[in-house]
Amino acid sequence: MDTKRKMPVLPVEAYTSQEWFDKEQEIIFGNAWQFAGLVEDIKDPGDYITVQCGLQNIVVVKGRDQRIRAFHNLCRHRGTQLLRAVGKKQKALTCPYHDWTYDLSGQLISVPEKEKEFPDLEIDKICLHKASVDIWRGMLWVHPKPNAEAITKWFDGCWERLGPHDPNRLIEYPDSVYEKVINANWKIIAENYIDVYHLSHLHSNTLQMYDHANAEYGFVGDHYLFWEPLSKDYHENLDKLLPFKRIKEMTEEYIGAYVPWLFPNVGLSETEATWSVFHAIPLAPDKTKVIVRTKMEEMTDWEYYKKGIKSYASWHGIMGGDTKYGNEDSDDPMASGDFMAEDVYACEQQQKSLKNPLFSIAATAKHGESTVRTFQGIVERWMSNSIKEG
Amino acid sequence: MKFHTLKVIALDKPIKEATTITFDVPSELYNAFNYAPGQHLIIKFMVNGEEARRSYSLNSCPFKEEPLQVTVKRVKDGLVSNFVNDQLKVGDELEVMIPQGRFHAAIEEDAYKTYFLFAAGSGITPIISILKSVLLASPQSAVNLFYGNANQDTIIFKEELETLVKNYPERLTIVHTLSDPKVWTTWETWKGRKGRIDAEAVEWFITNHPPIAQTTEYYICGPGAMNTGIRKTLQELGVPRELIHIEQFGADTSEESNNIKAVDSIVSVSLNGENYKLTVPKGKTILQSLKEANLNPPYSCESGVCATCVAKVKNGKAEMKACMALEDEDIAKGMILTCQSLPTTDELSIEF
Ligand SMILES: Cc1cc2nc3c(=O)[nH]c(=O)nc-3n(C[C@H](O)[C@H](O)[C@H](O)COP(=O)(O)OP(=O)(O)OC[C@H]3O[C@@H](n4cnc5c(N)ncnc54)[C@H](O)[C@@H]3O)c2cc1C
Ligand code: FES
Repeated sequence: MDTKRKMPVLPVEAYTSQEWFDKEQEIIFGNAWQFAGLVEDIKDPGDYITVQCGLQNIVVVKGRDQRIRAFHNLCRHRGTQLLRAVGKKQKALTCPYHDWTYDLSGQLISVPEKEKEFPDLEIDKICLHKASVDIWRGMLWVHPKPNAEAITKWFDGCWERLGPHDPNRLIEYPDSVYEKVINANWKIIAENYIDVYHLSHLHSNTLQMYDHANAEYGFVGDHYLFWEPLSKDYHENLDKLLPFKRIKEMTEEYIGAYVPWLFPNVGLSETEATWSVFHAIPLAPDKTKVIVRTKMEEMTDWEYYKKGIKSYASWHGIMGGDTKYGNEDSDDPMASGDFMAEDVYACEQQQKSLKNPLFSIAATAKHGESTVRTFQGIVERWMSNSIKEG
Repeated sequence: MKFHTLKVIALDKPIKEATTITFDVPSELYNAFNYAPGQHLIIKFMVNGEEARRSYSLNSCPFKEEPLQVTVKRVKDGLVSNFVNDQLKVGDELEVMIPQGRFHAAIEEDAYKTYFLFAAGSGITPIISILKSVLLASPQSAVNLFYGNANQDTIIFKEELETLVKNYPERLTIVHTLSDPKVWTTWETWKGRKGRIDAEAVEWFITNHPPIAQTTEYYICGPGAMNTGIRKTLQELGVPRELIHIEQFGADTSEESNNIKAVDSIVSVSLNGENYKLTVPKGKTILQSLKEANLNPPYSCESGVCATCVAKVKNGKAEMKACMALEDEDIAKGMILTCQSLPTTDELSIEF
């Protein structure tokens, strides 16, 4: 493979080869705290979800003591996957293969025909392999290692540069999840996000809502943090233009958009009216599933609907916004789906052009090059450090 | 261990039936009197010409520039607690041992933890010290306190706790429960929770205050029966034993000590290389009798906490009113805390 072609820091095959992809899964995704969902995804004791962390599948389950535990999703008997996808209010975790049963703290509690088949097995010495789990900013995070560094250490320095939002308090409206498989490497999506241009993901006409010239951004550890103020026109007409109810904590002191990229694969978008988490899940070298979940202030259905329409209409009226998405389905004020189309297209095109022998970096280095370069440098460091260690 | 003379510099009444003693620690003793939140002092009192030692948990916070403080709640017919509440004066001097006790919280600045604290009555003293220390010195950690009292008038540190909730709304949650709320008080009728901190209440509390940081610790201090009840419920819910910490203030008077069938007993003692024989009258502890006979038995707290007075039973039987210092295995081997032990057989033989 042509190793001279760079992106500009990482080689092109970092975005195209299966070998790179597998190594990344092991080295980065097997050693990093990863987004597993929102706290309310496991509400009651016995609720569980499963999450892929690199090569390993992890079960996250809530105990009766309200603590959340994470285990590797394999039965200690023959290594069969223990649980599928999600479950509610389980009393215990039972492997479908031979019905070995574990309690909610991962302890083996029963083995069928134990006396006959496993007379010497010391049941109380067998526990599911532990992983780490914690809650940070209303989100569940898992780490495949049992004694991972504290989540607050992993995100050291980030919290103070994020919005005043309290995601726990905000509401996720039904059917508001955006999910799409994008034909591009996960890093292309990350790089697109940390490009200033990414703000256009948030709303159909957001480019005019924020004052890009006064954006403040940079890396804190391996995480990218970004903030920019509102544009003057938007700020002055905020009550009229706000797409949804203003986030209560978003007082004048804090107003602006907070749009970090948390290493390796999670973007947040914390604005005056919404809080969203953008999860880019690598599926293949050229395939990434993006899931965006958005929370807002609590509103009645009618308020939710009306607010969305109102701001959509007045935004066009006052700001004379472009009509790029003018034919958008106005029943769906979230516009979930279409608002990212442009960037999805950009990412997919870039991925495609990597195959073109004429591809060279001059074509991609235009926007936010320094941030992209730093991000690639971080990926490169992770890969080379761990290779040395391993 | 040695006693140091400390002067009482203030006496305050957080509630009518309790007194907070503030000590002056001379600068040369600062280091010696360092403590971890949750620890207690052993104090020697002279009451009516008689020496009595008692343990009192520090309610002050070691992470704050504040003097040492303990708070003594009046116990019906209690020797020392009534003395402190009625007779102790500012300027008096007391003999005090340096802070000790295994019941304490390790406070780490960059920890991300959720602390569940359970207190009843005077049991709030070590708990409030832990609570303040977490808020001040572990800025990413949170505290959920469940605090039980008889009625509105017996809530020690009520105002101080209210102020802390106002200052740390995101990190501190307090739920009060009253077993016998007063109907007529200066404040309007009690709208809070009623009842004791029993199994159902513990489960309710945990369910309604799920931890954010998933590294958790549980600290419990109250009457004996409550402590073990809470621990049992927590364990049933799946909390590992090693995360549960208990401080016991004394005998589980209501039941255990009244159930001990103490008898007059002839006790043979092997102590300091000598053998003695003495009568321990019914209801007196072995240690009390040894002290009265001037045999110099080893002891320090006289409350079943420090294990200084430990001895081994060779023959016969004795039962303890309270025991916070021995593990079940020690007891099975015949170890006793003599300060808590009442002989229950006509003859008893022990060895120090
Ligand atoms: C580690 C430790 C820390 C303590 N911290 C505190 C504290 O911070 N504040 C505080 O007020 N007390 C605290 N105590 C209890 C204290 O040491 C004394 O036991 C208490 O003040 C009673 O002493 P007294 O001399 O008044 O009663 P005593 O004359 O010793 O006893 C009188 C009667 O009261 C019973 N009794 C003793 N203690 C209690 C009790 N706590 N509740 C109900 N009945 C009791 C006795 O069994 C006896 O029947 C602590 C005890 C220990 C072991
Ligand atoms: S003197 Fe401390 S336990 Fe008996």
